[in-house]
Amino acid sequence: MSDAIALLALPFVAALCLVGIHAYFGIQVLRRNVIFVDLALAQIAALGATVAFMLGHPAPGAATYAYSFGFSLLGALLLAFTRAWSGRIPQEALIGVIYVVAAAAALLLIDRAPQGAEHLKQILTGTILTVGWGDLALIAPLYLAVAFAHWLLRARLLATAGSDWRWEFVFYASFGLVVTSSVSLAGVLLVFSFLIIPAAIGVLYAERLSRQLLIGWSAGAAASAMGLAASYAWDLPTGATMVCAFGVALTLAGVVRPFARRGRRALAGRQMLTAAQWCASLALFASAAWLIVAPRADQPLLDAAELTLPALRGLYMNSSEEELFRDAAAYAERYLREAERLNEREARSRFDGNPLDDHELARISSFIKSFNEMRRGEEFVMREARNRARARSRWIVGALAIVLALLLVPGSFTAVRRRLRNKR
Amino acid sequence: MQPLSFSGPDMRALALIAWFVAALMAAPGAAFAQARLRLVATTPDLASLAQAVGGERVAVSSIVPPGLDPEEYQPRLRDLERLRDADAVIRVGVDYDLWLDRLLRQSQNAALARGAPGYIDASVAIALLDVRGAAVGPGHPHGSGNPHYWLDPANAEIITGNLLEALARLDPPGAKLYERRRGVFLDRLEAKRHEWQKALAPYQGRPLIAYHNNWAYLARRYRLNLAGFIEIKPGVPPSPAHMAGLLRTMREKDIAIIVRQPHESVKYTEFLASRSGAAVIVLAASVGAVPETRDYIGLFDYNVKALAAGFSRRRNS
Repeated sequence: MSDAIALLALPFVAALCLVGIHAYFGIQVLRRNVIFVDLALAQIAALGATVAFMLGHPAPGAATYAYSFGFSLLGALLLAFTRAWSGRIPQEALIGVIYVVAAAAALLLIDRAPQGAEHLKQILTGTILTVGWGDLALIAPLYLAVAFAHWLLRARLLATAGSDWRWEFVFYASFGLVVTSSVSLAGVLLVFSFLIIPAAIGVLYAERLSRQLLIGWSAGAAASAMGLAASYAWDLPTGATMVCAFGVALTLAGVVRPFARRGRRALAGRQMLTAAQWCASLALFASAAWLIVAPRADQPLLDAAELTLPALRGLYMNSSEEELFRDAAAYAERYLREAERLNEREARSRFDGNPLDDHELARISSFIKSFNEMRRGEEFVMREARNRARARSRWIVGALAIVLALLLVPGSFTAVRRRLRNKR
Repeated sequence: MQPLSFSGPDMRALALIAWFVAALMAAPGAAFAQARLRLVATTPDLASLAQAVGGERVAVSSIVPPGLDPEEYQPRLRDLERLRDADAVIRVGVDYDLWLDRLLRQSQNAALARGAPGYIDASVAIALLDVRGAAVGPGHPHGSGNPHYWLDPANAEIITGNLLEALARLDPPGAKLYERRRGVFLDRLEAKRHEWQKALAPYQGRPLIAYHNNWAYLARRYRLNLAGFIEIKPGVPPSPAHMAGLLRTMREKDIAIIVRQPHESVKYTEFLASRSGAAVIVLAASVGAVPETRDYIGLFDYNVKALAAGFSRRRNS
């Protein structure tokens, strides 16, 4: 536990800083309807960094940052004009074009700067896990300064949104300053989530900017904490897990929203229940039909149910099938252990005890290979036993599932009851 | 070695100049130029070994330029042209340069087809590490074995053996010369291997962490303990739980060295280094990955020196 806190404390503080500034910019971006502008700016900044590598500057350094920022200023200028230029074309189209051209140009330049490839990859996934005090000392004052400037100029920036290109440039340039640093820290995917999702949740629930910000910040902080905790608990890459946590947060916010309006809660509840019943009924019906049509194919619902509750298999397998399945599973497990044991022995011999010569190594390798093939064979037997049982019992299981699906259809239960009563 | 790569807009101008120069020089040297076997290797390492065996009778080039990750290489049009004109292709195999298969199909050069005399798989007869078979567990892209086998200098004997066999078949008049050149190269390598063995002998059994599992063969040869890797699944960033586990291992085993390649992420290695006090050293997994590694022997000269420096610094501090 203490390990987790020591490791995740700094990333969490960094996430708070990033949510703080990006939720604000996100509300502005939603208002201007330029959703993907951060991707375009980030990619232009990455292009700048690639140019810096190509000219021989070291990867993390002042020169690289200067190039990134210089390029994102040019990008800001370009973006400031896009609204005036776009005319009949939506501005988003031009933003998309800027993004793909910058990304492709960077790929072309990588040819000359091999270490740039890693940088471009990192720009996508980011490394928020490795944030240090130095990074925080850099971004926190920067974001505070940008926020303060926007607060001072708020009347101008809000009143002229989109109309005056000079104020548009100020907006995009300051945004570029923020995005250049945040993307190098957290990656494009995560920064996009920081930008859009807290802002969207804020806009869903409030009208005034201050309340939108407050709601967005709380939601962003909660989603960040959940994402970081989940990535530690389930051994998952941090950035991607956080993005998914933000997605879940937005979904929850969307689901809860109808309940937030006073007086309509009962109606919202009924609608939600009806929708859920329909979904469950249709999924069950489709699975039953799929089981009857193709019992040997992947059965997503049935497989998932068996994975969480292996005892379910007993419901449709007979005793000999179950025994075959259990036997094969035991052998598969044994082969896996044998292969692992040999593996460990070989790996240990590389630095400890008597070294293996190439002949012994080849012999052990072929044993490991055989054990793994045998395990595959047993897994095939397991699948085959299960598939046979499924094929045999598909009509009964399918019919039961269809009856259950029909009972789940909203209103069907009361209809059945009424009919039964009438008969009596 | 040959210049390995040119690209970009100046390519055409360069090609034109080169064509003129070649045309001017071709007249007197035509007989000699024709005798040179055109070999295309997938990586600079194989190109270097092929040059060592082939000498003046061959013209070798590498498809992947130095410093790029061969596993993520995206072939270019000029690679196709090179393969069309080639007499033989030399590949790492072991699912390492899989992109070559499609290139070979597209080049329609029958001399290079699988099984033809011009198709040289350098991995034949190598005792591979980390073999798992087709049924690979999660996170093992290389079920048929760890493909970085050229990083054991003892394997150079087998690789050059494969090369010698193929070259003698393609160019029988040169067979004697190839054999002699291989012998000279292996003698030189043998002397160097003693030197390297001696330099790393004090650090036998010492643990270290690597960014990615490309050092298995080097570690086995010099009996170093690769105690963990930062990136287990290629392209998937490490999870915080994995990093916490690595930090624990580093504390328990008192690990002093983290190894990365020049093109691998600085952020994770620096992160571990700053929290554990270990030193990060940059090793080259391939010829040309750092400027000092100009050929196959230079590759080990550099790596052995870097490893010894890393270990000894810790001992003195």
